[in-house]
Amino acid sequence: MKLTPADWIFIAWYFVLSIGIGLYYSKKAGKSISEYFLSGRSLPWWLLGTSMVATTFSSDTPLAVTGIVIKDGVSGNWFWWNFMLGGALTILFFAHLWRRAGVMTEVEFIDIRYSGKPARFLRGFKALYLGVPVSCITFGWVTLAMVKIIQIAFRTSGLTAMTVCLGLTIFYTTLSGLWGVVATDMLLFGVAMLGSIVLSVVSVEKAGGIGAIVAHMKTLLAQSGHDYLSVFPSLGQAIPLAFFVALFVQWWAVYYPGAEPGGGGWIAQRMLAARDSKHAVKGTLWFNIAHYVIRPWPWILTALAAMVVFPELVTAPVGTMEAAYPRMIGFLPAGITGIVIASLFAAFMSTIESIVNLAGSYLLNDFYRPFIRKDASEKHYVLVSRLLVILVALLGAGFSYVLGSVRMGWQLIMELSGGIGLVLLLRWYWWRVSAWSEIAALSSSGAMAVYLQRFPDSPLVKALAAWLEKAGFKVDTWGVDIILIVAFTTVVWLTVTFLTAPDDKGKLLSFYQKVRPGGFWGPIARLNGRRYKLNAYPFLGWALALFMILCFLLGVGKLVFMNWAQGAGYIGAGAVAAFLLSKAINKIDWEGQP
Amino acid sequence: MKKDYLPMALGFWGVAIPLIVFGFLFCRTTAEGVTVFLAAAVFMLVGYFIYRAKH
Repeated sequence: MKLTPADWIFIAWYFVLSIGIGLYYSKKAGKSISEYFLSGRSLPWWLLGTSMVATTFSSDTPLAVTGIVIKDGVSGNWFWWNFMLGGALTILFFAHLWRRAGVMTEVEFIDIRYSGKPARFLRGFKALYLGVPVSCITFGWVTLAMVKIIQIAFRTSGLTAMTVCLGLTIFYTTLSGLWGVVATDMLLFGVAMLGSIVLSVVSVEKAGGIGAIVAHMKTLLAQSGHDYLSVFPSLGQAIPLAFFVALFVQWWAVYYPGAEPGGGGWIAQRMLAARDSKHAVKGTLWFNIAHYVIRPWPWILTALAAMVVFPELVTAPVGTMEAAYPRMIGFLPAGITGIVIASLFAAFMSTIESIVNLAGSYLLNDFYRPFIRKDASEKHYVLVSRLLVILVALLGAGFSYVLGSVRMGWQLIMELSGGIGLVLLLRWYWWRVSAWSEIAALSSSGAMAVYLQRFPDSPLVKALAAWLEKAGFKVDTWGVDIILIVAFTTVVWLTVTFLTAPDDKGKLLSFYQKVRPGGFWGPIARLNGRRYKLNAYPFLGWALALFMILCFLLGVGKLVFMNWAQGAGYIGAGAVAAFLLSKAINKIDWEGQP
Repeated sequence: MKKDYLPMALGFWGVAIPLIVFGFLFCRTTAEGVTVFLAAAVFMLVGYFIYRAKH
């Protein structure tokens, strides 16, 4: 594919706008590390929610969804849609608590919740673990995906384009901190969505329209028995284990960037940067709607159109299926191609800038400041933060060269932290969880992941696989591995929790009074003289949020396929759920909120 | 304080204007044209909402 001068003009103009916006905030960000990493805790819900979804929308996401749809149909998206269960949990049970905790990073939470040397060790370890390997793996897979897009679309190495794009992104991110990140994220998300919508319209036209796509899918259904248009997997045959694991285990057990159980990473960073707790909750709600309802349909349409245009894709390897997305760009008219290319750069930049800013916050706030230099000036810390952001960017760029594939990147992270989700959820609501619990969960999860990599055919794996097959599942390695990791990790951390002493009561009391979590805090609540209750509304709100997201998701899908009445019905039901959800959110304990 | 959000609003308007121009110059079919012009209108509107947003 060749770009015309008009395409280049749009791409160049897009870069000027993004960098200009980023640089505008550099003076503001340099005032303190609270401004640099949390925008002075002044973000409104729409800005922080959009920033969350922009970060989660990466350049590899459209390709991954295209691959999923061509391989397994629309229902294959449950591989990631399952995370809406965890997302809704974060909205109702955790967003306001994060903001109330008032920490600077997810890792600093350890300092206000746990006590003693184990807590100190855990904070330092997690700062380095999340700040370097996890950030670099994420950086690496996102960069690798972007390189592949450039290679497929332009048939060049893409090295110069990537170097310029990365250099400019790191330049404004280093100077402007989170202010620059969230402000550019607004525009980047807009441009990224614009590109995917334009591509889907052109792709559908190329395929002969919605009617032609539906007819083609019906032919495929008759030939293969696979309903590619169905949103839910068909019943009456062996349930794929991966689907079962995704729906019942993954969302609460696996620490995945952007879908951490209870919120973490850049999601927690933005909740902490919210103007107040209500803005944190509303922002997280908006993120979940944009993430699950607004984003996916243009990609799904492009993927389905690609199946009509390139019928051989259905039997192609997964890599070729994913490459269908950039291949469709070739059908765009001159001038419009530039918009779609800019949208892919936007998706890439919005993720990269957040990763390096977040990694810098861990390394500065949870390693450099508590362990290396305690009492320096704000100016000094801002300078070190900027240097750390550059360091992480260089390490991440280096990592993208050694990472074998995009899939290898996220699989590595999901397996290494496959069983830690439950401890991250319960640490808010159960006083007995201690630093030892988290240490045990992290180490046992990592150890089991390494064991499974080293001995993929061990008797344990074979026995479980055979048992699951007998129980009626269509077994796959991924599902078996996750079940083993989660089961082993849960047994280990619960055992360690009961075998080790609880945290210092003074520390627990101070946490309980500050965060007011409710739940299982018996002895601490008695010490406090007042018990904070977890009422029924968050549970009701959780169910309503899920129902609402699902209705909107299905409604948009129906409208896209021109089933107007059904689409309007689903959207109407979603709107009623949204109204009831707003009532439930208002009934959460808002007393003493910052 | 309003200055805080102004660059974001300008960014949205800054994308909307070339979209209108590109829509006129390069769109080949009605569907392409409608998509690009609608997108430009949405960008204009979002820019306006950001500009008017409370601090």
